[in-house]
Amino acid sequence: MTSLMGGVLQLQGLRRAYGPVVALDDLTFDVPSGQVVGFLGPNGAGKTTTMRAVFGLTDLDAGTVLWNGAPVRQAERRRFGYMPEERGLYPGMLVGEQIEYVGRLHGLSVSQAAQATTTWLERLEIADRRRSKVETLSHGNQQRVQLAAALLHDPELLVLDEPLSGLDPTGIDAIGQVLVDQARSGCCVLFSSHQLDLVEDLCDRVTIIDHGRLVASDTVDALATSGPRRLVVRIEGDRTADWARPLAGVTVSEVVGGAVRLVLDPSIDSDEVLRAAMAAGRLTEFTFARRRLSEVFREALA
Amino acid sequence: MKVLYVALAAVALVTVRVALFRARRRRRATPPLDEPSEPSGPSQRSGLAPVFGALEHSLGDVGLVAGREIRERVRGRIFRVGTIIMLGGVAAAVVIPTLHKSSGPSIQTVGVVGGLASDTHQIVLIAGEANQDSVKFVTEDSVATAKADLRSDKVDMSVVDSSELLLEQPATASNSPADPGMVTDLAEYLGVLQAYRQAGLTAAQVKLVSGAKPVAIHVLVPNSKEATKAISIIGLVLLFFMLTQYCTWILIGVMQEKSSRVVEVLLAVVRPLQLLGGKVLGIGAVALGQATLIVGFALVLGASVGSDLLKGTAPLALLSELLWLVLGYAFYCWVYAAAGSTAERQDQVQTLALPLSLPMLFGYIYSVTVASTGHTSAFFKVLAYLPPTAPFCMSVLVGLSQVTWWEFVASVLITIVSTGGVALFAARIYRRAVLRTGGRVRLAELIGRPAR
Repeated sequence: MTSLMGGVLQLQGLRRAYGPVVALDDLTFDVPSGQVVGFLGPNGAGKTTTMRAVFGLTDLDAGTVLWNGAPVRQAERRRFGYMPEERGLYPGMLVGEQIEYVGRLHGLSVSQAAQATTTWLERLEIADRRRSKVETLSHGNQQRVQLAAALLHDPELLVLDEPLSGLDPTGIDAIGQVLVDQARSGCCVLFSSHQLDLVEDLCDRVTIIDHGRLVASDTVDALATSGPRRLVVRIEGDRTADWARPLAGVTVSEVVGGAVRLVLDPSIDSDEVLRAAMAAGRLTEFTFARRRLSEVFREALA
Repeated sequence: MKVLYVALAAVALVTVRVALFRARRRRRATPPLDEPSEPSGPSQRSGLAPVFGALEHSLGDVGLVAGREIRERVRGRIFRVGTIIMLGGVAAAVVIPTLHKSSGPSIQTVGVVGGLASDTHQIVLIAGEANQDSVKFVTEDSVATAKADLRSDKVDMSVVDSSELLLEQPATASNSPADPGMVTDLAEYLGVLQAYRQAGLTAAQVKLVSGAKPVAIHVLVPNSKEATKAISIIGLVLLFFMLTQYCTWILIGVMQEKSSRVVEVLLAVVRPLQLLGGKVLGIGAVALGQATLIVGFALVLGASVGSDLLKGTAPLALLSELLWLVLGYAFYCWVYAAAGSTAERQDQVQTLALPLSLPMLFGYIYSVTVASTGHTSAFFKVLAYLPPTAPFCMSVLVGLSQVTWWEFVASVLITIVSTGGVALFAARIYRRAVLRTGGRVRLAELIGRPAR
């Protein structure tokens, strides 16, 4: 069902301005095959504009979108799958027919489209709604329909704008697993989200943009292990971390449930922190930690 | 017989409606889960599968988009109910006038009291023939017998001594067996005959005068003028109604695709012109199908009941209106599509719809006025060459036989060429506006550099 053909999406020097507002400013990054890439950025960073540019839905002032080294044209886009942020569905059309219709536009025959529709509706657990009108479905089920339409033709590249927003945990698990499976079978998956914990769990790679510019792009592991060291310190009865604040080169990142998360400058010796912690009370935890994606995100935008 | 035709038409309409209702119930009753092993694409489920298949095969993406439009529109309640209402209206317009016509030859039984001279006998026959009646004479012994036969309906009227007519009740009464037309004519003829006799004319002179033939009558407009006028107006109403409906479909359809963001998914795969072309083609095919059905129904029904509405130049006017429906739709649909691509909400569509419909409304009202009076003007003839008003004005000129074939062709060509220009401009507007969100897009913003 899924394609094993790999491909690389390359965005090179994308620039787009709406009057005085610069949406994309020399944006360059790649989406390699077989990976789930999280596309992050604050509201108005240019994520949606970037995704629309891949499908020719916005005119670029400069830059190119390449697929396997060649400019993306209509023929390539037929092999891509797209799910816009606001659900792109005909409200009054039947679920099955709507998905089949999109599949036909992507080049499937009538029987292929029907068969693939059956497969995906079952996989996404909405097969019983095949003959329902889209407008009668819940928000979550409409998202599943939209995802099925994007996946029907076994795309080589899947671009999803906020596919997890508004979903319950079950829906997030189901759709998240589909994205991972697609990537493991060779598909490029690029999706945007503001749910950073989910992105950290699902993605192999993360790209962060702000004001249309790239601010970070690497694997989740590389980003988590890069940057200043982090310590998680827990002292019995301590809820304020006042003991750590006077330490030079040490920043209190957060205090949650008695666990103090500290960011250390490169010059700081962790033994100094250990001594200060032991002096403050009974030490129950002293662990080096990876950077969370939320920290990566905040620090990248700082 | 005509009542039978009306009943048949009514039965046909009811049958179609019931069939549609049952089909809808069957669809609703279908289990929600389709059988996975059986291909169930819309093209295969539909009875029009070969048509859709050919459309999609020959036109590719445009055909796919058009096929979806056709399926969705034809399934819509508005379309089906609208078609039935229009067929009912056309049936009423064609059949009802025929109910008021004379229903053909009938036999009038004439009682004769006191005998009839040969010239009087001849006059009774002429009066009957003039009213499509064949006459049967019954000799009455006396006036009393004649009255008795009138009361018992053995005779329809009696001539007493060649100088008086005797009826049971006024001929115009609803249950009078006497043909009022024949009674009036016969009374007049007998009066004239009496006058001849009082003037002292000989029998030969009376025969000569009675046999006088009317002089030839030449008319400026064929005798079906009234019928053509009626069919022309009916056609104009349908033309306006259908053009407005289909163009509104385009307007709302484009707006809904934009507001629901479906257009983003579609334009990620097909080009804007393919999407727009498919929509225009699909709705146009539905329009042509519906109009052909209505015109065909009118022609067949009119021929069946012998309607005057379809005599003279009326069929030509109807066919002309069918052609102008296609041309008018082709011209206006692009304008409406471009306008729809600038809107995102229903209230914005309503704001756009009124100014867009003004040229159509003006052409329609003016044309109905001219079709009613039969008086054209130079201004009206100029409007018949302008694409926004030509569909209405040229149809009227055809109905009134006030246009030559080359003038008609010239108007058609002007509209076709203008449609090409309008389509190019509209496609440009559509491409730039349909992906722009966040409020209604002004036309001025769309002219100039690409802005989506």
